[in-house]
Amino acid sequence: MMAPTVLPSARTDRRPKRIGIGPLMTGLGLATMAAILAGRQFRQATPPRPHPPGSPRAHPDTAAEEARRRALRRSRDGAAILSFSVLADSGMEHYRGGYYHKTMYAAPATAAVSIAANLAEPGRRSGGGGALSAVHLASAAVGLVGLRYHLHNLRSRDGGLSWNNLFYGAPLGAPGALVTAGLIGAVSHAMARADHDAPAALSRRHGRQLAALSTVALMGETAEVALLHFRGAFHNPAMFLPVTVPPLAAAGLAYHAWRPDPAHRPALRRVLQAVNALGLVGTGFHVLGVARNMGGWRNWSQTALQGPPVPAPISFTGLGLTGLAALDLLNVDEETPR
Amino acid sequence: MSDTFRSPYPGWDVLSKWSTPSYNEQTREVLNRRIDPPAPHALEREVYRTLCALCERVIPQHEDTQGPPPAPIAPWIDAAIAGGRSSGTRYDGMPDTPTAWRRGLAALDAEARQRHGQPFHRVPAQAQDAILRDVGKGQVKATAAWEGLEPRTFLRKVALKQIVEIYYAHPRGQSEIGYGGPASPRGYLRLGAGRTDEWEAPEGQWDRLREPAR
Amino acid sequence: MTRPVGHASHGAENRPRATDGRAPDVFSRDGWVPMRQFRDDDEVDVAIVGAGCGGSVLATKLAEAGLSVVIFDAGPFWRPLSDFASDEREQEKLYWLDDRISGGDDPIEFGANNSGQAVGGSTTHFQMVSLRFRPDWFKSRTRLGYGVDWPVNPDEMWRYYAEIERALSISGPLAYPWGPPRGRYPYRAHEVNAAGQVLIRGAEALGVAWAPTPLCTVSAPRGKSPPCVYRGMCKIGCSTNAKQSMLVTYVPRALRAGAEIRDLAMVAEVHCDAQGRPDGVVYHRDGAWRRQKARVVAVCGYSIETPRLLLNSASPAHPQGLGNGNDQVGRYLMVHGNNAVWATFDDEIRWYKGPPSMACCEHWNYADDDPSKDFFGGYSFMSQGPLPGDFAGTLVTGTGMFGNDLRRRMALYNRMAGLKIVGETMPRPDNRVRLSDDADDLGLPLARVDFSFCDNDRRLHRHSERFMRRMLDAAGGRDLLSSDSTAHLMGGCRMGSSPENSVTDDEGRVWGVPNLYICDGSLMPTGGGVNPAMTILANAARIGDRLARRARQGAS
Repeated sequence: MMAPTVLPSARTDRRPKRIGIGPLMTGLGLATMAAILAGRQFRQATPPRPHPPGSPRAHPDTAAEEARRRALRRSRDGAAILSFSVLADSGMEHYRGGYYHKTMYAAPATAAVSIAANLAEPGRRSGGGGALSAVHLASAAVGLVGLRYHLHNLRSRDGGLSWNNLFYGAPLGAPGALVTAGLIGAVSHAMARADHDAPAALSRRHGRQLAALSTVALMGETAEVALLHFRGAFHNPAMFLPVTVPPLAAAGLAYHAWRPDPAHRPALRRVLQAVNALGLVGTGFHVLGVARNMGGWRNWSQTALQGPPVPAPISFTGLGLTGLAALDLLNVDEETPR
Repeated sequence: MSDTFRSPYPGWDVLSKWSTPSYNEQTREVLNRRIDPPAPHALEREVYRTLCALCERVIPQHEDTQGPPPAPIAPWIDAAIAGGRSSGTRYDGMPDTPTAWRRGLAALDAEARQRHGQPFHRVPAQAQDAILRDVGKGQVKATAAWEGLEPRTFLRKVALKQIVEIYYAHPRGQSEIGYGGPASPRGYLRLGAGRTDEWEAPEGQWDRLREPAR
Repeated sequence: MTRPVGHASHGAENRPRATDGRAPDVFSRDGWVPMRQFRDDDEVDVAIVGAGCGGSVLATKLAEAGLSVVIFDAGPFWRPLSDFASDEREQEKLYWLDDRISGGDDPIEFGANNSGQAVGGSTTHFQMVSLRFRPDWFKSRTRLGYGVDWPVNPDEMWRYYAEIERALSISGPLAYPWGPPRGRYPYRAHEVNAAGQVLIRGAEALGVAWAPTPLCTVSAPRGKSPPCVYRGMCKIGCSTNAKQSMLVTYVPRALRAGAEIRDLAMVAEVHCDAQGRPDGVVYHRDGAWRRQKARVVAVCGYSIETPRLLLNSASPAHPQGLGNGNDQVGRYLMVHGNNAVWATFDDEIRWYKGPPSMACCEHWNYADDDPSKDFFGGYSFMSQGPLPGDFAGTLVTGTGMFGNDLRRRMALYNRMAGLKIVGETMPRPDNRVRLSDDADDLGLPLARVDFSFCDNDRRLHRHSERFMRRMLDAAGGRDLLSSDSTAHLMGGCRMGSSPENSVTDDEGRVWGVPNLYICDGSLMPTGGGVNPAMTILANAARIGDRLARRARQGAS
């Protein structure tokens, strides 16, 4: 394309002191990688205590132990994925909000730290253990503060609690994801710290906690998605998937937590795996959705932010994993052989 | 109040995003043509000079020695007259648009000759302004020249309107008011009060509108 | 026609595009869709003059019913993605720039103000406000004591509004504060921009309801239309196809159903046989005069061109013009008062982002019992977002400012907000369209339009100005400035129940000329206090269904 004959004048175009979207995306990517590396590094540097000889742990794993380990991996990864979703999504959405309030930086920053803390599980009981626990609880607290800010944003916009503001104002569900990630992390931490000869009942309790968290979070996320897909007029039938499958999973998980019955496990597992898949499928759809905006990905400085938000759907995978972790734990029984 | 104009957006130029998704091919095509008008050929030279002087009174561009090059206005009006272009409305008692221009410019010259013995474009700027203000109020002196052409209607609905429409559709006019400029395929994201996109003008410096010029 | 106007029209203004069995694919930059074509001496079922609101809907209904349809439009057949630039001056190519002579006490401004010239008509440049009539207005004489009754059933019109809104995926609020309940708008309302938030603030301060304006641009993807990017250039043509104009909705639909569209085709006359019965149209296209035979002619040229065409189609059988035996053609022309109040704020509003009218208020369309209401009829009002050239034009025509005073005033552009009404004017017989003695480039007599407000209109304007000033003041605005203008066109060949005081019956059939129809905004007997597009479309859908039904029954 030709440059105009009248060239822009020699005056420098004073940009507002704000980073561009390119640097922002790069920053989010770097933050993610740094968090992952930090978490894993911490985990390697603080391996679980060695088992004293003669302890039950010195023998080959029981089914219960296998289940516990799997559950810990899943809840840890699930919370990390959830935190990643918060990091990228809040990073972008707060950017769209111009970071006009300095506290808005807290969301992506806390999410990054939460990724690291989650991936650091299992951490040692002493030292790193206490810090990790604090980080998880702090993440949840930051999420709660965020909820309060988002609610205030809704109320203070012209029109108050109107549909216009619900659709286009600060989303209430988003800080909830950070709360959830923090609380899941706290449970993961408790799971990691549990003595290896801890009773099965403790594992089942962790299972119920994870189930409760996943259930509530799945319903909350469903509500958020329902609102935003409703805003999009459900223009594509696939938009109904994330408001039907997750509630099904949540209901199933809640019921199973209340009345665990091994016969339900296969079906519930499949539903939860479907929720996991939704996270990936949804991401694909959102990428296509951005491409469908005017100018597609080439116009990404507008379209990536106009939506649909690409980092949002993967949070379902985080919750699905957490639900699967709950499933692993709910039926743990020391006496049950492999 | 001083008579100079200082834009509240001194650093802003809508052309700075020429190579971004805010511009599409056809917009660049159009703007490349806009800065390069055809040579004037509809009006005689002296009348054309009056047109230029009129344009300069309406938008005193040439005073800004530091600003961007002036937006061509008079050549485009000449081209429209040559092409017989109208606005779609011919008010009762007025001639068609090209004729209205010709007669109106001649009438401005007649006013200037009546008052100062010179055509409009040779008269000092303040006197030109005075003539325009009078015409705007309908207080004309060279009544014969205005026959069949209502002075207020000519000034407001033909002359001023078309001149400012050309100026403020041009990057220079757009930039000085902090308008966002071309916007396709990339439009705007941040629609709320006090919120701007990176590809818009930064916040305005409003004291520049108030301070007297140095 | 004085074309070309644009510099990036890629030939659309020079040579017809819809030829050789194909028409432009409006969803591409340079592609085509197949188009059925007829020969001039094929007697097609219906010749439609004008591919705007009325013509596009009518053509779709009839073609989908299996009739052979040819549509003639004087304007170009645009491909918005490649032809529409982000430039006010360039985009003047969308308007009817040939002269209309404008007289009366309150001469109407034409051109960019209210007249398009393109396939898609004025919907290529309209600002997409999609409001419904208050149902009582269809019976304003009987129920409200002014104007005339429409010869329609308000409930039927209410259903047709829903059909049109679905077809155009209107993006509107979930709860609409005024009028009888309506179904949910197909798409959700857009985010209200800062300019609209000024209206919201003002409305809440004065205790009146407000709503995000139902708009004819999509807030989510729809087919090949992406969601609106809020570039704010709706009035100069949507280059993304988010705007659901006729060009991207009913026109492609009509083509798919087998209609032919002839762009750059100016119909000069409805041709009549020796008995005075219309048997085709005479038109100018591609440098030559031609005549297309048709069994039925439907004139859909809107309030100026439809009467002009009828008057220009005089013949020995119709010495005063076609359908003008009772001197009704061209009468009862209406506009909407478009008075505005503008204010300056401390915040930068930057009203250029987004469609111009993102919030609206119909309070005064329904406030019958308010003691301050000293006028018949109603008005709605909306927030504003004019483009720079447009706003500068408003300033100078209203105030006569020039020089650095003007530049300083214009430099406040980013801190301004405004409210503008759509105000009902009363139908009056002497507000009319006639032929003038001057002719256009093709030798066709130009239209001469005379318009004057009545006392009721002026009372409405004064009331609205007082109210909008109060509202802007309450919202924190300063340095209030008023402007007045008009918008839209309605009437000119109105529907009615008697040939004495109308031009057509309730189905748009011209009295005394059974195979001549009118289907456009000129049919409107009253104007209401809302933008007319949805009403014109709903009425066209209703008439289209009737005509299609007749055709199936073999009646016409």
